[in-house]
Amino acid sequence: MTSLFINDQEVDVAPGTSILEACRENGAEVPYFCYHPELSVAANCRMCLVEVEGWAKPAASCCTPVSEGMKVKTQTESLAKDREMVMEYLLIHHPLDCPVCDQGGSCKLQDYAVEHGASKGRYAEHKRASVNYELGPFVNTCMTRCIHCTRCVRFADEVAGTGDIGILNRSDHMNIAGIVEEALESELSGNLPDICPVGALLDKPSHDVSRPWEMSHHKSTCTQCPNGCDISIESRGDEVMRIRPIEHSPEPWICDRGRYVYDAFRSDNRILKPTMRRDGGGLVEASWDEAFEQVITLLKDKRVGILFSPDWSIEGQMAIRLMRDALFPDAKVAYGLHRRDMRTFAFEEGFSMTTAQIEAADQVVVLGSDLRQRLPLLMQRLRKRGRAGKPVSRIGAMNYRTNMDINNDALVRPRDWPAVIARAMEQVREVGKTAAGFDSWMAAVSDRHEAGKVLADALMADSCALLVGEEIRAHEDAAALIHGLDLLMRACGHAESDNDGRNLIPEGMNRQVLSATHGDVRASAGDIFAAASAGDLDALIVIGSDPVGDGVFPSAAKAALAKVPLIQIGSISGEMAEYASVQLPAAAYSEVEGTFVNMEGRIRIASNPIKSLGQERPLWKVMMRMIQVMGAEVPVVNLDELRAAVVERLPELAGAWAGGATDTVLIKPRRNRDVSIAPAARSDSFELDVVSRYSMYREGMWARASKLLTEAGRIHALDDVLVHPETLAAKGLSVGEHKVRTFLGENTYHIGVREDVSPGVLFVGKRGVAGDLSDVSGASIEGGAA
Amino acid sequence: MISSDPKQVKQICFDNIDVPGMHTLSVARKNGAYAFLPTVLKDFDSGKIIDEVKTSGLRGRGGAGFPTGLKWSFVPRNTGKPTYLLCNADEGEPGTFKDRDIMRFDPHLLIEGMIMAGFALDVQDAYIYIRGEFLHETNVMNAAIAEAYEANLLGDNILGSGYSMDLTVHRGAGAYICGEETALIESLEGKAGRPRFKPPFPAVEGFYGCPTVVNNVETLATVPAILEFGGQWHASIGVPNNAGCKVFSVSGHVNKPGNYEVPLGTSLKTLIEDYCGGLQHGTVPKVIIPGGSSTPWLTAEHYETPLTYDDLMKAGSFLGSGAIIVMDETADLVALTHRLAHFYAHESCGQCTPCREGTGWLERIMKRVEKGQGNAEDVTVLGEAATHMAGRTICALAEGAAAPVLSLLKYFPEDVQARLAEKS
Repeated sequence: MTSLFINDQEVDVAPGTSILEACRENGAEVPYFCYHPELSVAANCRMCLVEVEGWAKPAASCCTPVSEGMKVKTQTESLAKDREMVMEYLLIHHPLDCPVCDQGGSCKLQDYAVEHGASKGRYAEHKRASVNYELGPFVNTCMTRCIHCTRCVRFADEVAGTGDIGILNRSDHMNIAGIVEEALESELSGNLPDICPVGALLDKPSHDVSRPWEMSHHKSTCTQCPNGCDISIESRGDEVMRIRPIEHSPEPWICDRGRYVYDAFRSDNRILKPTMRRDGGGLVEASWDEAFEQVITLLKDKRVGILFSPDWSIEGQMAIRLMRDALFPDAKVAYGLHRRDMRTFAFEEGFSMTTAQIEAADQVVVLGSDLRQRLPLLMQRLRKRGRAGKPVSRIGAMNYRTNMDINNDALVRPRDWPAVIARAMEQVREVGKTAAGFDSWMAAVSDRHEAGKVLADALMADSCALLVGEEIRAHEDAAALIHGLDLLMRACGHAESDNDGRNLIPEGMNRQVLSATHGDVRASAGDIFAAASAGDLDALIVIGSDPVGDGVFPSAAKAALAKVPLIQIGSISGEMAEYASVQLPAAAYSEVEGTFVNMEGRIRIASNPIKSLGQERPLWKVMMRMIQVMGAEVPVVNLDELRAAVVERLPELAGAWAGGATDTVLIKPRRNRDVSIAPAARSDSFELDVVSRYSMYREGMWARASKLLTEAGRIHALDDVLVHPETLAAKGLSVGEHKVRTFLGENTYHIGVREDVSPGVLFVGKRGVAGDLSDVSGASIEGGAA
Repeated sequence: MISSDPKQVKQICFDNIDVPGMHTLSVARKNGAYAFLPTVLKDFDSGKIIDEVKTSGLRGRGGAGFPTGLKWSFVPRNTGKPTYLLCNADEGEPGTFKDRDIMRFDPHLLIEGMIMAGFALDVQDAYIYIRGEFLHETNVMNAAIAEAYEANLLGDNILGSGYSMDLTVHRGAGAYICGEETALIESLEGKAGRPRFKPPFPAVEGFYGCPTVVNNVETLATVPAILEFGGQWHASIGVPNNAGCKVFSVSGHVNKPGNYEVPLGTSLKTLIEDYCGGLQHGTVPKVIIPGGSSTPWLTAEHYETPLTYDDLMKAGSFLGSGAIIVMDETADLVALTHRLAHFYAHESCGQCTPCREGTGWLERIMKRVEKGQGNAEDVTVLGEAATHMAGRTICALAEGAAAPVLSLLKYFPEDVQARLAEKS
């Protein structure tokens, strides 16, 4: 530790700490604009000047490291004058338009002008004005207000990795500008207005509609991806106005999906009242009693299948289980739309490592995931890691854009995974590493794929994090592949409790909890749809899911929904409205007291909900009422009883609900060590493997209900269907409309080409839009030379 | 090189400046260039070279006057990273034109100095960052470098010594700030020329994050003589702590403006009267800017000041790059200050608030004052705006921009008062 004196007080800080950080850590206020704890130091605003005894000139505290015995003063007459002058310099060209600026009221420049500025500026010359520029659908620019702190430039370079904001010109003609118009292709762009200390970059969707002091802040958890970021939902009255990250939470940023989904909260797509069909017509509003009458008619003594979203609070999910047990004790439930292989996985969905541990690991290998879309905040951490010189490798069906340099990249078809893993096993075996079952797994695969070298090389490191993505999780032989990966990790010593690098990216939130609460009655969504289509079920209950718009079973879902009635329970209506016989409104995640567990197993309890907009009720209350009207005994009557029911299955949560730690107690994904599944040979004859893209702007009912995300999705869309140029060329075909044959039949699609796609893969750029293609894992392009 | 008897030496960098054809390798060799280089490569090692340069008392000739040997000794060794040698030939300080003459008339002196410095620091790649406007000098340097490569003075295994060094000339793009060593490094890396804050210093983390030494042309051109005749010899020239000769670029109201290399310690008066043919008008100058336009002014009272780093600092200014701008009583100091303020407002890189906003502010006020539209408050604002720029920014440009304004207000307030619209 280095000890120094700040305003005569002796303090100890880590060596190499800047004076500014030492002051922040020890409660000495130093004003600053350009400094940001998550960004590199720029030292350009010169607001953070301090005096160091024995130094001739004041020092910029943000870029001056502490030294032993240094005597720092943060408040002197001379510094006060310096700060007053810096404020005067900054305000030379800054417009005095605070009353019409969104930043007014939460503006560093405004605050410091009051605290450190003079009462009057003396500048009487010409003023500068700057031209605004286009920063995409979420960020508004008013560049005349810019104070050139370059936080946005550093954010684009260092965090977003896009590098598309820069500095043009110099002296007081200096401008911050987008390098290319409309270039901001970052999934983190919404953070720019947050980091701008003035009103130069503003949130476009909430521009000119609200003032900072009108907002009430509700701490909550984002359920838009398994990262489960801490968010502050800001509302004016009952209306959600915006969503922002929370300082000092595990992630300092939030992604655009989690932020701009807020307009879905007040969209026409919300289910705010019960609705039902009368006399076979369209859905019309009904009273709760009428709706439940209809529910009784459709469900009483019937065989049902239950499908629900993993993103409900744990309390909501437990209530679903209680409802099932009370009313439909034989019913199977599905809570994923992407899993084809329901055999037990050797390691279940969820992360055995924290994202901070992944950032620090010696090696990281991303297996079959578009991480930038799927987990933008984890991608950001990988970028940070890359900047620190740590390697990231990737194997997958497409060179997904990452905005960072990937060290080792290998393209594979989904059918190649067994050969990839076997190749890695062979290499690992050569240096004498093995595990029980290793050799028989390897022997079951005849081919070897060179991409396995990337995997094996990374596994040789002391610590190696595998990030196993959807291409494996949704694979038809997923259980065998995951068993293979588990064997590899065990052989290389990465499956021990203190060095467990197995991270299977889940589809949604709460995955570890769902294994405990619903694992024993789980089925594949595909199986439930097949049962309904085959006449083995009488009705479907869908709670917060949209199997037609999302997932890998849209055709199966459509077929099932054509056959049996649907009871839809949820917050968003979406495509399910077309099929629903009854809709019951359940409160959104902004409106409930509830508990959420993210992919790392971190527990978050929301306790300050926003008032409901309509008649929607927390899901658990809807479930209990349903049990009651259907004539069964209501198992729990309040949240405490409900939580007690959860604790029976998942004791880890007891402490958190009793007010204990939530950040340090992590619920780890389950391990199934006795699983042993050898890979099977592929049986169909389709020449291409189908891989569909997860788009953060399109996936999920919430995202599709958000106009903002829909518009962003339109801007960031890829062609509907893509293949590698060689794939088309080999058949003598060119870009255009082509017939594609799958087990569902033949359809015509516009097929584009992209070098980034693995040869032999049919890449579905717009899941859902391509309809039937989402259901299949193999396809052939018809026509051309065979 | 220097005449065979070092005792006779009056000039170091400019010893052969007038030899016709000195820029060609054959003429340069006839005059001693590269004669001592094989000895250095064979008998000297890094420690010995750095010791000699330390002993010589050589201080950086680019402006800051930092001891060159000490700078070299700060370079960490065996870091696993390459060490770079960059020659700062971005001679942009208004009033300075000495490096230009070394490069166009005696380029091999600089090349030889760079080989020796590179050898001392185990440099594989050296660069000359040359001012973009110096097209002719670039061509001369490139031709000389090509000849040096041809003669195995550069490139692989120089003169069979086992030491290899490449030398590349990189042209700047016209920014004054790129003469600041960290801005120069940024520019050479392909980025906009904006100074970096320190620490880390370039010696530890410079060009592409590697240990880097940046030396001025004149500094590097002095190295061959130091190694040939010894550090002691160099230290004996000039005065203690201010050893050696210095090229002064004298301009302004003198009869014979030009470059003059004289031993440090020569007085301003001697330089102007004995070398430069005296003033155009009058007997004492009104203003002397002693080290380039960014150094504070001196006046008649400082006329006898010896030209050393220390004496000029005592007088309230700096030796700087040795660009002496002399003004007699005919000079319009308000106009001069406005012109300099314009220069600095144009050249500020725009990073730091006080400099970005302050330089433009000073310029606009000075423009009004020059036109007779100033008022009493302007004088106060000029003083405060300039004072709070200086020493509060990443680099020294703001200090340079403040210097003329503060000097004008300090020494010639009546010149300003006389121009105000309403006299106070």
